Amino acid sequence: MSITAETAKEHAKDPAVLCCRREAGTVISASDLEDPAIFDDLVDSGLLNLDGALTIEQVIGAKLTETRDSLNPITADVVEGAKVVAEAEDEPADIPAGEGTPTAAPQAPIPTMAGPGGVLKIHIGEGKDINLEIPVGGLGNGVPAALPQSADMVGSAEAAISAPEVAGEEKVVRTLTRKHFNITEVKRGPETKIEGTTLYIREGIEAECVENQKLVTDLKLEIITPADYHTYSETIMDVQPIATKEEESEVGSGVTRVLDGVIMMVTGTDANGVQIGEFGSSEGYLDENIMWGRPGCPEKGEIFIKTQVTIKEGTNMERPGPLAAHTATDIITQEIREVMKKLEESLVVETEEFKQIRRPGKKKIVIVKEIMGQGAMHDNLLLPVEPVGILGGKPNVDLGNVPVAVSPLEVLDGCVHALTCIGPASKEMSRHYWREPLVLEALHDPEVDLCGVIFVGSPQINAEKFYVSRRVGMMVEALDVDGAFVTTEGFGNNHIDFAAHHEEIGKRGIPVVGLSFCAVQGALVVGNKYMTAMVDNNKSESGIENEVLGCNTLCHEDALRALAMLKAAIAEADIKGAEKKWNPNVKSTNIELVSNVTGQPIELVENEQSLPMSQKRKEKYD
Amino acid sequence: MENVQILLCQHVGAPCAPIVQVGDSVKKGTLIATPTGLGANIFSSVYGVVEEIKEDRIVIKPDEEQPEEFEPIKEGDKLEMIKEAGIVGMGGAGFPTGVKLSTQLEGGYVLVNAAECEPGLYHNIRQIEENVEATVRGLKYCMEITTAKKGIFAIKEKNDKAIKILREAIKDEENIFIHLLADIYPMGEERAVVRECLDILLGVDKLPSAANSVVINVETLLRITEAVEEKKPCFSKNLTVNGLLKDGHKPHVFFDVPVGTSVGTLIEMAGGIAEDEKLGEIILGGPFTGKSTTLDVPITKTTGGVIPTMEFMDFHGANVGLLVCACGGNEGRMRELADKYNGKVVSVVRCKQAVEMKNGALKCEDPGNCPGQAEKCIKMKKDGALYTIIGNCSDCSNTVMGSAPKLGLKVVHQTDHVMRTIGHPLYRHLTISKKADQLPNGK
Repeated sequence: MSITAETAKEHAKDPAVLCCRREAGTVISASDLEDPAIFDDLVDSGLLNLDGALTIEQVIGAKLTETRDSLNPITADVVEGAKVVAEAEDEPADIPAGEGTPTAAPQAPIPTMAGPGGVLKIHIGEGKDINLEIPVGGLGNGVPAALPQSADMVGSAEAAISAPEVAGEEKVVRTLTRKHFNITEVKRGPETKIEGTTLYIREGIEAECVENQKLVTDLKLEIITPADYHTYSETIMDVQPIATKEEESEVGSGVTRVLDGVIMMVTGTDANGVQIGEFGSSEGYLDENIMWGRPGCPEKGEIFIKTQVTIKEGTNMERPGPLAAHTATDIITQEIREVMKKLEESLVVETEEFKQIRRPGKKKIVIVKEIMGQGAMHDNLLLPVEPVGILGGKPNVDLGNVPVAVSPLEVLDGCVHALTCIGPASKEMSRHYWREPLVLEALHDPEVDLCGVIFVGSPQINAEKFYVSRRVGMMVEALDVDGAFVTTEGFGNNHIDFAAHHEEIGKRGIPVVGLSFCAVQGALVVGNKYMTAMVDNNKSESGIENEVLGCNTLCHEDALRALAMLKAAIAEADIKGAEKKWNPNVKSTNIELVSNVTGQPIELVENEQSLPMSQKRKEKYD
Repeated sequence: MENVQILLCQHVGAPCAPIVQVGDSVKKGTLIATPTGLGANIFSSVYGVVEEIKEDRIVIKPDEEQPEEFEPIKEGDKLEMIKEAGIVGMGGAGFPTGVKLSTQLEGGYVLVNAAECEPGLYHNIRQIEENVEATVRGLKYCMEITTAKKGIFAIKEKNDKAIKILREAIKDEENIFIHLLADIYPMGEERAVVRECLDILLGVDKLPSAANSVVINVETLLRITEAVEEKKPCFSKNLTVNGLLKDGHKPHVFFDVPVGTSVGTLIEMAGGIAEDEKLGEIILGGPFTGKSTTLDVPITKTTGGVIPTMEFMDFHGANVGLLVCACGGNEGRMRELADKYNGKVVSVVRCKQAVEMKNGALKCEDPGNCPGQAEKCIKMKKDGALYTIIGNCSDCSNTVMGSAPKLGLKVVHQTDHVMRTIGHPLYRHLTISKKADQLPNGK
């Protein structure tokens, strides 16, 4: 279909193709040209051959010398007065990245959206006015795409960021110390205590947990050792570090004590046996349903203190139900925390120090993390008194899902107690924040100045989504940053605000890089012209929500690509349009290029293929 | 002679209110209904007796004798007489002409729509050929009333004979000119006429007055002349009966058919439907914008055509995509056709340029100039369509042909069954220029 002058400008370097028959003598304008967004489809359908096509910027204003029919590329022999564009000589028509072409380069598999090269055109109006136009691929088919950038772009971006600036003094704003205590065995006993590396949990504590929460009808406590990994479990609602603050320390600073080798795991169903989860749940054999080593997941070898909480029937989809399961579990954790506070310093096996460093003069960036806020299990307690505790935490749903600014160290110190337990592969467990890769990478990257992290909830209804999104825009504006990340967990509904955050930030002229699971199943349902730099968190083989815990969450490899991409975007390097179909190779190429530039190899995490095949996966997925 | 049914709404606006009673004797030209809002007077088209008054029509039993004389309208100035005569846009739109001409163009243009754009209709051109003098006088009255400085006949270049006659008729008229149109659809769309004659593309919500002009159908001019010179009320209609007729699918032009005559009577007047052939449907109006009808339906002041068609091809239940646009039928009409073709609608797409107006009708942003259709074809194909039924203009149909067949999407135009019946080329590829060469100095 014919395009507007604005679209023509965006696609200045794309091939010029007539949308309709045009007669000799026509002076070519945007309205005579086919939309490059559908070229892939046209080429696929055999409708279009772009050989010899001049670019849009070359032909606008030129005169057609022969009558030509629709879908004919405009070639030099049928126009007079075509412009010679200098760059066009060096960098011929922007044909989708082929293998080994010098311009093809780092890309991240991404959802397709309205931006340049996107095929999914969507207009987001004012909340109630959302037009979805999904011309190609369809969502079912997945329309992920990719946003490449060229290798030399990354290079130049780095140069642009690091070289010309007057580097100010690094400034340590605050520090956080983690003291690690090792646990090798967990047993039940008459009292909760830690002796050496053995943790004892008081027998009968379960009854108090049940007693404490009206909606909890039963709570079973299991100690899962590596030998027991092949144990059936109800859906995993959370994985939590067992950590506590030393006296007078607050979350995000001072000293935190944490147990190594053991984690808390919340699982559960309602009294009818319905999993607490809606779109997929991770019930099944633990060893078949946990993606080991993801930031939010257990490490292989760790002991799980696993509660199996039964909540009143039907409350699994209401807010109080899942919260009750978490609160009941936290009674056990809290008893352990009290014991930890009294542990001898001599038991500390490792001390870690996190510095929140500001780097004046470097490119100032912020991380906006979208967290679930639709209610039910889609909630997060923000800033509890203890790391990943309950007490003192405010549900972000109750906060109206408005953006809340936290320090990177608060994130790493468990300021989020996550209640997101559905869509297990893409949701961020509490432990994820404890080891949040993007925060860690950005904090440690000497080339950028990470000024903070903003959590914003994803409300259920669109009007609220745009409400919170506008607040994100204002907050980011006030921070006066040079670039921003927007991350999200899950997919679908939350992509509406995810897209809106990009728009709010992008329209203020601030480069923005998005991170989300998209691939096939999570292909974006909305988009806008600011969503051009995207990193896909997908790790699964087929690009799907495979119900394997943590499989498609943000990992270091994603954080590194995102950082490279944001640096490139800040340096105003063009990020190539997305590929039409999800192509995992885009990610590999980007990884390779990022690692070539940084000189550091990037090791990729494994995916569900490394796990024993579960019956569920066999039937439903792979 | 069958009863005449005179509809109370034959125009843009509210239905008229009857002012006669059952049993009243009426003559040709007796005022029988008057406007209740925007509208135009309605007159009896026959001598007879009012037999029935229904909510939407007055039924008159005609007398055996039907003299030529009619009851004249009352004397007044020209504009008053046009209003009094109940004249409306006879090209199909039915906007009350008296209201349209109540404007001072002060140096603007009266554009005469003589495009006769719907294929298969011939009565407008025949009128020019046979009654050019009265037609030109009608234009002059319009120019006088509106103080326009120029009158322009917009007529398709293919009509050699009519153009020759028209050129002769206006050669001494200082302010009247001819603008030739290419033989493509929809050159007769009001805004297309303005664009072609004045090179001004009006927005979909704009009237020709925004280009300091009015557009008047060629038959309307004739009715104006009749009202002004003969005090004749508007109660008859010129039209074409074409299609699946006994005498070999030839057009029959009828002048001054009494409003209220039934489709069946008109078909009989044209010799009747060919008996050895299977009837597809009967269209009231033109192939693009007409609707399917039945034999008992009466014609109105805006009816231009009655077209019985050959039977429909059978899609055998195949999946169909509808490409709805402003040039052809609305979605309802397209769905009706899909049914008649025995197809199953799996996809409905709308041309990018078709804008929905407040009343639900579609208008084209730039009639006859395609905005591209490849994406729509891909969409229909993806939705599983094997056939597409399109109602597009010549240019858009051509664009559809640039992609649909290669996609394996079989193209059927909304007008195909009519075009096949009357032996007119199908709307597919466009091979002529959209611009016509003009006469020297428009003369």
